[in-house]
Amino acid sequence: MKKTCIFQDTEKTQNTTDLLEVSERMYGRGQFESHAVLLADSFDPLMGSFHHIIRVAKGLVDCYDPRGICDILENLHKKNRFDSILIPGTSLGEMIAPRLAKRLRTGLVAGVTDIKKEGGHIEIIRPAFSGKILEGVLHTGNGPVMMSIRPNAFEYTPGDPLQTVVSAYTEPVSSPSAVTRLHVKENQQTCDIRDSEVLIAGGGGVKESFPELYRLADALKGRVAASRKLVDQGIAPRSIQVGQSGKTVSPRLYMALGIHGSMQHMAGLRHIESLISVNTAANAPICSLSDIVVHGDAGKFIDRLMKKIAVYRS
Amino acid sequence: MKIICVVKIVPDVDSIVCDVENNILTGNAARMMLNPDDACALAFALGVKASDPDCFVEVVSMGPMSARPRMEDLLRLAVDRGTLISDPVFEGSDTLVTSAVLGRYIATRPFDCLLTGSHSLDGGTAHVPVQLAETLGLDQMLGIIRIDPHRFDSTRAVFEVEDDKTVTTYEMAMPGVLSVTRQSGYKLPYVTLSDMRRDVSDELAIITNQDLCFSETDVGPAGSRTKVVNRYPQTYEKKDRHIVGNDEAGISCVFNFLKQKGFL
Ligand SMILES: Cc1cc2nc3c(=O)[nH]c(=O)nc-3n(C[C@H](O)[C@H](O)[C@H](O)COP(=O)(O)OP(=O)(O)OC[C@H]3O[C@@H](n4cnc5c(N)ncnc54)[C@H](O)[C@@H]3O)c2cc1C
Ligand SMILES: Nc1ncnc2c1ncn2[C@@H]1O[C@H](COP(=O)(O)O)[C@@H](O)[C@H]1O
Repeated sequence: MKKTCIFQDTEKTQNTTDLLEVSERMYGRGQFESHAVLLADSFDPLMGSFHHIIRVAKGLVDCYDPRGICDILENLHKKNRFDSILIPGTSLGEMIAPRLAKRLRTGLVAGVTDIKKEGGHIEIIRPAFSGKILEGVLHTGNGPVMMSIRPNAFEYTPGDPLQTVVSAYTEPVSSPSAVTRLHVKENQQTCDIRDSEVLIAGGGGVKESFPELYRLADALKGRVAASRKLVDQGIAPRSIQVGQSGKTVSPRLYMALGIHGSMQHMAGLRHIESLISVNTAANAPICSLSDIVVHGDAGKFIDRLMKKIAVYRS
Repeated sequence: MKIICVVKIVPDVDSIVCDVENNILTGNAARMMLNPDDACALAFALGVKASDPDCFVEVVSMGPMSARPRMEDLLRLAVDRGTLISDPVFEGSDTLVTSAVLGRYIATRPFDCLLTGSHSLDGGTAHVPVQLAETLGLDQMLGIIRIDPHRFDSTRAVFEVEDDKTVTTYEMAMPGVLSVTRQSGYKLPYVTLSDMRRDVSDELAIITNQDLCFSETDVGPAGSRTKVVNRYPQTYEKKDRHIVGNDEAGISCVFNFLKQKGFL
């Protein structure tokens, strides 16, 4: 029986279960024992999905201390000898996974988006060369297989509920960080584009008319997203960037206004039900992936569609 | 104060052409540049030096000898020492090995703070700064958008990290590793004309494995714990697209589609 250890997605605890899909693709359903390691108090969403939930006792470690958390995971590995350790690719996870890999002298595959089984081998897939291609990576050596998983790349379909055993981790942390959190300020942009079913996304083609996108998004109860072009130009905030170096999104509707559809942008689109693109170039790469291509100026398009919606609603 | 900037000279990714059929990447050696995040980190360090002449800034990089010209460019700024760690046996090293090599050299140098970039354009995994910190037994933080110049000295640093929802201010005891991102907006100064003409060819220190004494089985591809076995093109499901004009008929088509799918 394989043993897999999954560290909590500290940004969205309920997403922690999606990492079970990675283990399942590696070992097969029912062929492994799962351990979730949680810092937060709330573990309800994970009950029934994992065999074991290990809760780190309150006050042992700061939730922003990658070094202290590494201590805990290292210790748990020594006791349990996991076959694989999966860390969500959150900002905290990015600081934990490489440290832990170094301590365990094991290789780490970062930003994993897929798993393939070839013969007896497990091939771990990740985008490389800034998303131009996908690389299939084999884990070598004796250490546990370690991966950091790209947020939103996997989706787990729960099976029959398991009897979850909950335990507490109480051993003091031997090397906590000498880091203190002084101050936390909320960003203005607090909604997460990953939660939205409708995304109205703008790119280089809507530089001038970008504010208009918010009108359309409101009318369709959606949110605004952007390509990196607009983020680099300071027109859109980074938190709404879709793509290789931004977010992976799976809305039901993605409307791409003035977006070319570079590899790096498309890397952020996963399981999109409907895609509508508006572009002055009907042969832009994004067009061949669209359900409808509107050939023309995106600003004018928004205007006309808004009028039509207004008439309909009145 | 002594600052070491750990920088990577990267191929300009836009000049890389990927030939998936033959499983090769071409244009690798085409254009090399200082990794953008690292440029911000160095720019901050040079800012500190500008207001404190006693500050000593060393730039360290591990890479092929083809990185040499770009490293020499940095010596034309107010950098006090430049070091390129380069040896054919290090070629093809993964991040574990890279951080071990950098760590072994840096451990021999005096420093109060290590500044790095957060992500490199070509690697992009942010493993090196984290594993370098682990090698040296230091704290480390990624994603820094601002370092407070008034609370940055040999004992502590105060800095801001941005994520989706928050901007968080931290204080870290020094020595430690601070990894800066492009969003910081720190900009390198321009090279003066006289510096541009200066011959710096014998100022760059070159460190090889003769100095660092790694066993050849521990570095390069031999020391790696992962192996790339396949390369695939990114593929997407193509749809039967329906091209419409940006006119009444086209807008109606979109409108009806939205209505039919329940978005209106
Ligand atoms: C390491 C790396 C990571 C990257 N990560 C990302 C990422 O995460 N996300 C991302 O998006 N990009 C990313 N990029 C950048 C990416 O390669 C492209 O440069 C970027 O996506 C281009 O954005 P765009 O399509 O909006 O702009 P452009 O390339 O400028 O395309 C504009 C499009 O709009 C059309 N257009 C022009 N005018 C109009 C008009 N009036 N009305 C309608 N259409 C019009 C044009 O025909 C064109 O198709 C990354 C690049 C690198 C190197
Ligand atoms: N070969 C290298 N030499 C020096 N610094 C490096 C090297 N590789 C990575 N780094 C540092 O680590 C940061 C993140 O790189 P990476 O881990 O490749 O994403 C870079 O911005 C550099 O500061």
